[in-house]
Amino acid sequence: MKSVIPMDETYAQRIWRLFKRDRFAFIGFCIVIVFFIVAALAPFLANDHAIVRVADGSVSFPVFRSLEPIEWRFLLYVPLAGLVYGFRGPLFLRVGRGLWIVAGVVLLIEFALFFHHSFNDVTNDRTLPAAFKLMPPIVYSPIETSPDQLVPPSWKHPCGTDSTGRDVAARLLHGARTSLAIGFISQSIALLVGVSVGGMAGYYRRWVDIVTCRFIEVMECFPTLLLILVVVSLCDAANNMIIIMVVIGLTGWTGVARLVRGEFLRLVGQPFPQAAQALGAGDLRIIVRHLLPNSLGPILVTATFGVASAILIESSLSFLGFGMQAPTPSWGDLLSEARKYIDFAWWLAFFPGAAILITIMSYNFVGEGLRDAVDPRLRVK
Amino acid sequence: MTTYLLRRLLLVIPTLFGITLLTFLLIRLAPGNAAMLKGGSGPNGGHAVTAEAREQTIKLYGLDENPFVAYGKWVGNLARLNFGQSFVDHRPVIDKIRERIGLSVSLAGTALVLSYVIAVPLGILAALRRGQPVDRAISVTVFFLYSIPVFVAALVLILFVAGGDYLNLLPMYGANSINASEMSWPAWVWDRIQHMILPVICLTYGSLASISRYSRASMLEVLGQDFLRTARAKGLSERRVIFVQALRNALIPIVTVFAMELPALIGGTIIIEYIFTLPGMGQLVFQSIEARDQFVIMGVVTISAVITLLGYLFADIVYVLVDPRIRYE
Amino acid sequence: MRSSFLSVENLGIEFGPRDNPVKAVDGVTFEMAAGETLAVVGESGSGKSVTALALTRLVAEPPGRYMSGEIFFQGQDVLKMPPSKLRALRGKQIAYIFQEPSSSLNPVFTIDYQIREAIELHRPDVRDVRGEIVRALETVGIRDAATRLGDYPHQLSGGMQQRVMIAMALACQPQLLVADEPTTALDVTIQKQIMDLLKDLKRTSNMAILLITHNFGLVSDFADRVVVMFRGKIVEQGPTAEVLRNPQHPYTRALIECVPKLGQKQHRLRTIDYAEID
Repeated sequence: MKSVIPMDETYAQRIWRLFKRDRFAFIGFCIVIVFFIVAALAPFLANDHAIVRVADGSVSFPVFRSLEPIEWRFLLYVPLAGLVYGFRGPLFLRVGRGLWIVAGVVLLIEFALFFHHSFNDVTNDRTLPAAFKLMPPIVYSPIETSPDQLVPPSWKHPCGTDSTGRDVAARLLHGARTSLAIGFISQSIALLVGVSVGGMAGYYRRWVDIVTCRFIEVMECFPTLLLILVVVSLCDAANNMIIIMVVIGLTGWTGVARLVRGEFLRLVGQPFPQAAQALGAGDLRIIVRHLLPNSLGPILVTATFGVASAILIESSLSFLGFGMQAPTPSWGDLLSEARKYIDFAWWLAFFPGAAILITIMSYNFVGEGLRDAVDPRLRVK
Repeated sequence: MTTYLLRRLLLVIPTLFGITLLTFLLIRLAPGNAAMLKGGSGPNGGHAVTAEAREQTIKLYGLDENPFVAYGKWVGNLARLNFGQSFVDHRPVIDKIRERIGLSVSLAGTALVLSYVIAVPLGILAALRRGQPVDRAISVTVFFLYSIPVFVAALVLILFVAGGDYLNLLPMYGANSINASEMSWPAWVWDRIQHMILPVICLTYGSLASISRYSRASMLEVLGQDFLRTARAKGLSERRVIFVQALRNALIPIVTVFAMELPALIGGTIIIEYIFTLPGMGQLVFQSIEARDQFVIMGVVTISAVITLLGYLFADIVYVLVDPRIRYE
Repeated sequence: MRSSFLSVENLGIEFGPRDNPVKAVDGVTFEMAAGETLAVVGESGSGKSVTALALTRLVAEPPGRYMSGEIFFQGQDVLKMPPSKLRALRGKQIAYIFQEPSSSLNPVFTIDYQIREAIELHRPDVRDVRGEIVRALETVGIRDAATRLGDYPHQLSGGMQQRVMIAMALACQPQLLVADEPTTALDVTIQKQIMDLLKDLKRTSNMAILLITHNFGLVSDFADRVVVMFRGKIVEQGPTAEVLRNPQHPYTRALIECVPKLGQKQHRLRTIDYAEID
């Protein structure tokens, strides 16, 4: 007789299982992962520096010299995030200790990067002779201009070139980095602010809640894009990635705050937070170790849609000329150029447009899949 | 009902206060302005500022005064719709806004109405045919549309439908053709419509997903209610049960949610007016941002926020009027 | 001989997956005579409500399935009727009142509108519809009915809402009134009022009443005959006085004993031991 005793699975495992069943969501998730990998490995995929070069009897790795700080950050932080997740149990057993350790590592990395100076090395390894060299698949760097301007897609330039002869494919690959970085970091900021504000409103209630709700209402009255444009221009921050990330984050937290507030208000009414308090747990511990994990599902859903929205905003900003500008590769910027040459240079619009479309759609699929997996009204299987 | 309305109206005040406060803070904390105060006619974002503009800015925003006094002045100015004068052409900001706001409002308004007219029936249809291919098809289509960024859609539409190598059905930019003033009235209207078709489409398709999904959910919830069983037991035709008894209930939340779409629409007009070169408020604010024309920027921002606030208020009032359970407490 | 008023024969309705269905109604057979008051008694899940809904094919067909049986009402084969005839049956010949009056009335329409809907549908030649409505409301004991026409359901108390439901059911002068646990959701004092109202109706009209209830206490001075259902099957039926005096089936006995009796010394309320019955 088949056993009907349900397996013990954690909340996270259950969500993952339900999520996997939705094929669209799963495909979206895979695409998201692929984009991440592409973004992290972009310098190894499209670069005019060789990955490995053997010449004059010595082996060198020119590509590493060309890495900008942001590229280093991608290469270092993604595995770091993986490690933190893998060791989250022991790390965060005491919440404070975990936070200190992570902060320490981050500070270390940033400190090291501070001393990084870019080698503005315009020699490209395509032409340099070498006994052996391993070039990236696309042998152009995203910022390298050339006389082949506005060339349609060909063997040499699979996605064509733009008005200054830069290879569109290279800009596309490196642009993924810009979009993803801005998307994720701005959403992290939004999450941080939103969870804090919403959490406090939901946990402490009374006047904290009233004030917070008014504040959220006020923020929601301002059209987001307009507000961001204004702030970015007031700070004179076009092309300043950090300020853009911060501004997008600081204008996009209201959704998360509302959600967290609602969840906390609901959870605080249940017995377990009281039980924790009776055992002597302080407010922070209750919030972080009891209330937050139970709200994680909807928060993740909102965060996923938030990343899609942030990528969209960044692209819009760049499109309007207030985001990342050339020579920094950005999909939005590519599209704004495309507008000028729309009559004949269809490739300038098609490839970046498709890239943005696929990215946003994938995040939306993932968000939808998560939402269904997290929905408590679906029958327990 | 009157108590509810009164309370709701009273709530507008703190939010208005918050809006004015936020815009005020934006102005005070803007690095450019602070520099201006200290550094004479120093660069404001790379542009040299005339002494006159500097004087104006300091005076209007009360930069040299006590923050509380300055705030009081700011609110006073707002109440009189005095947003100062544009740096660019020295005309009062309020006039510049006034002549452009009509186009933007009609653009956003048409898009809002159109998105409801299309999405609500779709959502209800999906609810009535739940689980069937129609439901899934609608869901997938709307989702796909929602994922397309506005400027991508605009570019694609322009590429294929407006000027360019392919079809050349619709004009590419402007709200009217160049010779519009010479046209007779019906021709003018038709010309305007032709120019607005693409912008309206671009502004509409994005909202279809949320509205249709919300309609579907609302309808599904009503379909599970007991009173429909009573209606059937009375012998009413299925058509009457669904389209009179059920729908009337389902529409209540749907109708009151329209205010949620407003901020997105207002923000969307910026991009669309930019791409299609429409002389609306979005284009005005964009040009002003490029020109660092601060007074205009602040004027548009404040007015947008107030319009949104009024939209929310209006939605709440509509809700009260439409749901008898609230109306007669 | 089969009754010519209402005859249910071997009715079978099931729910759930086809390979493992739940037989909500399993081989149910009973009759009603015109003007009679019949009570169907059983606990939750016994199938009594589904049986009642089946009389006008109100059971939603997904998820329910009519597997077997026939229902004849005044010579008409209900289960084989075309939809248009079914709609003429509902409300006009067989009317219903349900358990939860607060959710059984449409919250966005006035009670005037809801009753009017029924009258205009089934009695189109009535000229003074408003008068009819007022009369119906007064019959069920709502005072100042004329002033309450514009009220919405949520403005009325539970007892009043149920009276409105009854008025709505009576407005088309049906031959059979099916009352599905009409008092379960109401206070005990209101329960008595509603039951008294039903008794009045029984006395003053020749309308048949089918009362569904889980409370045997309501049955004794109200119903002429009683049908006892358990897990989809009828376990006993007969004239009320006889069944009460001499219950044959152990379940019936258990149900009767559950009702607390005045003057009886009980330390604990009786509950039903299912093992005994099976």
